[in-house]
Amino acid sequence: MARFIARRLGLICITLLVVSLVIFVITELLPGDVAAMILGKEATEESLERLREELGLNRPAYERYLSWVGDVLRGDLGDSYALKLPITDIVGRRLRHSVILAAFAFLVGVPAAVAAGIWAGIHPNTKLDRIVSMTGLVGISIPEFVTGLLLMLLFSSTLHLLPSSSIILPGVNPLTSPQILIMPALTITSVLFAYIMRMTRANVIEVMQADYIRTAILKGLPMKRVILRHLFPNAMLPTITVIASSFGWMLGGIIIVENVFAYPGIGQLLLRSIETHDIPLLEVVTLIVAGTYAISNLLADLSYAALDPRVRLG
Amino acid sequence: MSEKRKDEIPLLEVDHLAVTFYTPHGTFHVVRDVSFTIQRGEVLALVGETGCGKSISAFAIVNYLLPFHPGESRVDGTILFEGKDLIAMPDSELHKLRGSRIAMVYQNPGTSLNPTMRVGLQMEEVLREHLGVESKQAHQRTVKLFDSVGLAEPDRIGQRYPHQLSGGMQQRVMIAMALACDPDLLIMDEPTTGLDVTTEATILDLMVDLKRRVNAGILFVSHNLGTVARVADRVAVMYAGQTIEQAPTSAIFKRSKHPYTTGLLQCVPQPPAEDRAGTKLRSIPGDTYAPEEGNLQACLFAPRCPMAQELCRTEAPEMLSVRDNQQSRCFFWNNVHKEIWGELEPRDEGLRESVEPVLSARNLRRFFGQWQRKYILFGPRVRLPVRAVTNIGFQVGTGRTLGIVGESGCGKTTVARLLVGLIPRQRGDILLRTEELAPLIEGRTDQQRAALRMVFQNPTTSLNPKLPARHAIVRSLQKLARLSGKDSRERAEELARAVRLEPAYLERRPEALSGGEQQRIVLAAAFAGEADLIIADEAVASLDVSVQAQVIKLLEDHQRESGTSYIFISHDLGVVRYISDDILVLYAGHIAESGPAECVLNIPSHPYTEALLSAVPVPDPDAMPTRIRLGGAVPTLRERFQGCFFAGRCPRKIGPICDNTPPPVNTGPDPPDHAIYCHIPPEELMKLQSD
Amino acid sequence: MIEIICSGLVATWRSIGNTLRLILRTWSGRIALPIVLLHLVLTLFGPWLAPYSPTAMPESIEQYQNLPPSLQFWLGTDQYGRDVLSRVMCGAGSLIATAGGGALLGIMLGAVVGMSSGYKGGRVDEVFMRVMDGLMSFPTLLLALLVLFTLGPSRFNIAATIGFVSMPAIARVVRSTTLSLKTMEFVQSARLRGESTFYIIFREILPNVLPVLGVEASVRFSYAILSVASLGFLGLGIQPPSPDWGLMISQSRRFLVIAPWVALAPMAAVASLVIGVNLLADGIRQATRMAKEEKHE
Repeated sequence: MARFIARRLGLICITLLVVSLVIFVITELLPGDVAAMILGKEATEESLERLREELGLNRPAYERYLSWVGDVLRGDLGDSYALKLPITDIVGRRLRHSVILAAFAFLVGVPAAVAAGIWAGIHPNTKLDRIVSMTGLVGISIPEFVTGLLLMLLFSSTLHLLPSSSIILPGVNPLTSPQILIMPALTITSVLFAYIMRMTRANVIEVMQADYIRTAILKGLPMKRVILRHLFPNAMLPTITVIASSFGWMLGGIIIVENVFAYPGIGQLLLRSIETHDIPLLEVVTLIVAGTYAISNLLADLSYAALDPRVRLG
Repeated sequence: MSEKRKDEIPLLEVDHLAVTFYTPHGTFHVVRDVSFTIQRGEVLALVGETGCGKSISAFAIVNYLLPFHPGESRVDGTILFEGKDLIAMPDSELHKLRGSRIAMVYQNPGTSLNPTMRVGLQMEEVLREHLGVESKQAHQRTVKLFDSVGLAEPDRIGQRYPHQLSGGMQQRVMIAMALACDPDLLIMDEPTTGLDVTTEATILDLMVDLKRRVNAGILFVSHNLGTVARVADRVAVMYAGQTIEQAPTSAIFKRSKHPYTTGLLQCVPQPPAEDRAGTKLRSIPGDTYAPEEGNLQACLFAPRCPMAQELCRTEAPEMLSVRDNQQSRCFFWNNVHKEIWGELEPRDEGLRESVEPVLSARNLRRFFGQWQRKYILFGPRVRLPVRAVTNIGFQVGTGRTLGIVGESGCGKTTVARLLVGLIPRQRGDILLRTEELAPLIEGRTDQQRAALRMVFQNPTTSLNPKLPARHAIVRSLQKLARLSGKDSRERAEELARAVRLEPAYLERRPEALSGGEQQRIVLAAAFAGEADLIIADEAVASLDVSVQAQVIKLLEDHQRESGTSYIFISHDLGVVRYISDDILVLYAGHIAESGPAECVLNIPSHPYTEALLSAVPVPDPDAMPTRIRLGGAVPTLRERFQGCFFAGRCPRKIGPICDNTPPPVNTGPDPPDHAIYCHIPPEELMKLQSD
Repeated sequence: MIEIICSGLVATWRSIGNTLRLILRTWSGRIALPIVLLHLVLTLFGPWLAPYSPTAMPESIEQYQNLPPSLQFWLGTDQYGRDVLSRVMCGAGSLIATAGGGALLGIMLGAVVGMSSGYKGGRVDEVFMRVMDGLMSFPTLLLALLVLFTLGPSRFNIAATIGFVSMPAIARVVRSTTLSLKTMEFVQSARLRGESTFYIIFREILPNVLPVLGVEASVRFSYAILSVASLGFLGLGIQPPSPDWGLMISQSRRFLVIAPWVALAPMAAVASLVIGVNLLADGIRQATRMAKEEKHE
């Protein structure tokens, strides 16, 4: 078991390293002169050259990469080109906002999806199951921006119940003004719900075919116990993997949803940094997003190992 | 236990049971007309080949048909349990009987237990549900039940998970769970089919013991006539969804009154009386009547029956009474006797001179996996490699058959793969006549590949499901016999005819062929290259008994015509006994005994061979098994044996020498090639084993 | 070698034909096929069937901008006075072509990598799978954004990115199928006959991988469409004045209150297409299962 964890942690480090390398390589390929971007078009050649020296832009690539990695590990994330502020300040706040959305989606969406999936899987091909399955299918088919805009159309434009954009002023805690959160959170949750529900349903249907379910039923156990103690634990194992992979998928969705509702989270930051060619910011945000995904996968693997006695005890 | 009550009302009375499945592809009559009764305290065996409907009949009793067919199904007839009709019973009432009054044991104990729940808990929930006992009491009763089925450490074993138990232990847990509430009816669906022979013997012992102790009626579903002969009081034989004969066990085996039963018994290799030669195996021509076909106004066995008459083809026979407790579904049961399938021919004992060995193997070794250290780079070694094959060597003479026998984990499959080059050997040589063979198949020449061919166990996965059957044969001809185009096609048809298949079958996809037909295609492909030696790795293990005989016959005929040698690998000692000239007995990757078949099968034997021979279920109800039983299970193969590889389980262990020193090779006095790897000298063994 | 590839292709073709026949028997297939066919027709013939030009703007924009649906303009006009119906009809083509191209690229790359890696095993397999794992640890959209940001959004780049990004997941699925096929005796028998690795992968293993690929292909196609539309929405997709549905939705956001039809039409188009493809995927899955049952009963 300890070996398993050690191996997995090792893999994570390698993955993060690869991620940082990919980011660095991509940004290396970008056109444009960094110094010019910072100082603007009117800057003189001398001041540009001085800035380049200062920023170390004339050093060879691998040196710059290594020093960047070193900085990150020390906690020094550098300054944003466009905003002229330390990145750490910018990122922290935005990250918090995105986490609220993600947390809502997860804490509300996942249990609901799992419950619905289990129910549908136990009663396959009944009328209600067909409706639920169809809803799930539609849910994963409609892009997040479509869902978001439809909600906006309904609640903001037509019913005037909720504000159409979710801009949060600095210093304001979004949790205190929930009306900003409702539509973005609902949008993200709906897609997550559909995806997880479908996968859970498929897993449950598969587990229901297992021999040990037959044994449990023919032992005379009530269906409730069969479902709770025999079906659920075994169907949850593959579902955990599904939930972890949906996390990464949700990160992409957050980018879009934040764009639709102008919600100031990490997704918006990412898009902004792309628009303004703000490379240091882009690098850090990408690292955070990819890193979070990698860590969620690790957690899923670990929980699978902890829950499945075949892996735990070998 | 006090004397059994013989009630007037039978415990279970199944009358004209019929199960039909309705699917978009058609209607399937999986059970057409099944009737039998079981009294308290007796064991009724329900016997038949694949597809006869025996398992479905068993599950129909508890009304659990879902896994067989998720769609619409219909059950006709009556199933009276203590006088109450189970078919008419509402599901809620039936559910109360499950687990408490009627209990089941299944074929595959590994998958029938919840992998994420400790076995003790799985046991306790039955007790709690039906008997309402509290936690502490439930635990105590669990321990007692585990003890009663012969599980070691009954108080501790409840803490384990199913995957930590061996197959035999898992099945004992299942049996204990079934007995937990002292059921009236115990249904066992092929309970020993997935187990090793020596383990199977111990489970059958347990069943015989249970018969005495427990007052339940037992329905024992099986396709293995040997196990049936050991445990059953009465036997009901099924064919194409019908019961076709029902009688007490000895009557079935000695005085059967249905052509199918008689024929089936002659398909099973019987142990010889004095020497090895017995009678030739019979095979039943044709195919089973399929479930898709409707119910005919005729005897369903008539197309394959040697004594079929006009009446058999126009009227459907009922179960007719032969004697007081024997019935047969045959109009002419009175004429049925052993010779209706033709005279039993003795096997030709043609001396097969071995001119020069066609294949020699020396010092073969193969381990799997690596040493791993506990803390990645340092610390004690944790995972040792699996020592699948340690120092194995043998020879196969021209035109002779070497049988390699052993149970799971003995290394026989690995040896096969080493010989043929699918896995590279780590040490040792393999010589084809005088040429040394490269470790991997990719390094061998075309002629070498053509000379050494292999037939695998599972015919369905031996053929590419997406390509027509001729693909395997034609490719073999093209690559190994260097035939092309028209020549290869013509020769393929010839080969098909040689294995008794119409050339039209070649165009079919494997899924459209039965298991026996598929295996015959595989044989044709193996014969394609005019091989010097063919390795048959459990080639008949997954086939029905009647089909098995067909395939064995084809192999024998081919050997007679072409002088091909065989290595026949099997766990089925009965078949190996029948077909082999020489036998190699393996255990835990080592050779226990080797030599000509008559010598190996007779005393003096290695203690393991002795145990194996006494464990094989024999289709003769009068046979008294010699009671050599092995405790424990096959070792994990991760440890290097300090002494004898069999020391852990050997019933004839003589002392510390067995644990410390590897056994010497004792070559026998008479045939010098009879070798026994044991500390006990052969003369001593002869004396010990003569009682 | 050409012979082997040809017979592999023929097998694929026949497999597709068989599956189509079975799909029509499932209820999801019957709903899905018309929808998908409609979109296919639009893809191929949209520009010819459209009543107006999708990109040309009228002389006097103010006169024609943001008109509600009428007999003249069935779905109304957008802020530049262009006919929404024509734009939607013409947008199908580039979206489906780009998404389809990307998915196809991913399938082919993933299949080759998955089969080779799974069959070969050993070091090669380890390395490949680590690389695949590394690629999969990026959320798809993120990677796409980065790449397009670097290379610039053109249809080819988008398709290539999608293909590259879907490759790891497909390779994983194909690899696991290949691993279980590898243990089957017909593959071992092929080795024993002396068949080359190339032959074994393309003639023996590929036909058995196709059913799995079929399901994956439809799933990947639907993801690809969502990705292209999302990228379009974010402005990194197919560039204006090309009538990309995602871009159309994004641009019409400002006028959502006064002219909702401008956004609703492409939204309906995207949603219906993806629903159709997903239903088709379900249909394929059911069809393969039905085919298996038919053989076994």
